[in-house]
Amino acid sequence: MAITIDRSVVGSEFDRTTHPPVAQTEVDAYAAASGESCPADGVAPPTFVVSLRSHRFMPKSLARLGRAGLDAGKDIELGAPIRVGDVLTTVSTVHDIYEKTGRSGPMGFLVLRTVVTNQRDEGVAVIDQRMMFR
Amino acid sequence: MSDVDTPAWEDLDVGHELSPLRLTLSAAQVRQYAEAAHMPGARFFSDDAARKEGLPGQIAPGNLSLALFSRLIVTALPGATLTRLGATFRVPVRPGQPLVVRGVITEKHCTDHGDLFECDLVIESVEGDRWVTGTASARAPAPR
Repeated sequence: MAITIDRSVVGSEFDRTTHPPVAQTEVDAYAAASGESCPADGVAPPTFVVSLRSHRFMPKSLARLGRAGLDAGKDIELGAPIRVGDVLTTVSTVHDIYEKTGRSGPMGFLVLRTVVTNQRDEGVAVIDQRMMFR
Repeated sequence: MSDVDTPAWEDLDVGHELSPLRLTLSAAQVRQYAEAAHMPGARFFSDDAARKEGLPGQIAPGNLSLALFSRLIVTALPGATLTRLGATFRVPVRPGQPLVVRGVITEKHCTDHGDLFECDLVIESVEGDRWVTGTASARAPAPR
């Protein structure tokens, strides 16, 4: 299947979600499942931030990029810790889109950036997710 | 954990290998993580569903590999604050396969707010096949 690279979408915002307050039960379930310990009472493990689910995971306009994508990698800059009761907001944009040719043919890469802030407008995390399409 | 596993901060330097984690993820653990992390992909829940997507069987979410890296840092450098974490998912990690999570300090920067350590990370098979590679930055507690 041909890969369509449309760089005009770079920089476009495709989701803005304010999440319900972080619950202790969510933090406990995540810590138990991941094996990570909580840094302190009422503070979530560092990678808890990747469990936030926004309204829209992918930009609608990229439906023709290729077949279903695979998670190729992730980079997270961590800021203020997430505490139980925090109200987090995620803003997602298309950060980059490019094509590479590997041994198996052309591959499209889409980098989605999600900026996470808390109710005090403190930066909690910047997450760059690289999706690969064939 | 013994003192041998966690040397004093001032003794940590470039080339220090973090005490590795050795574990085997079970299918149930992978499902539990996918549920807790709100990852509904069928590939994380059953072999059959994963095979329909062209995968060899149930796979672990990439985010679980990130969590394993975080766990390595926090276990090997107790008291450190993770400030950055990155991973490249080269080969899907699958339940039932013994794996080793390793890390090595590649840079050390001394600051007034506590030393900052850069680490190279890898999740590999017991035969040494590299499934996930990564890097992390971790800050030691500020000196008193």
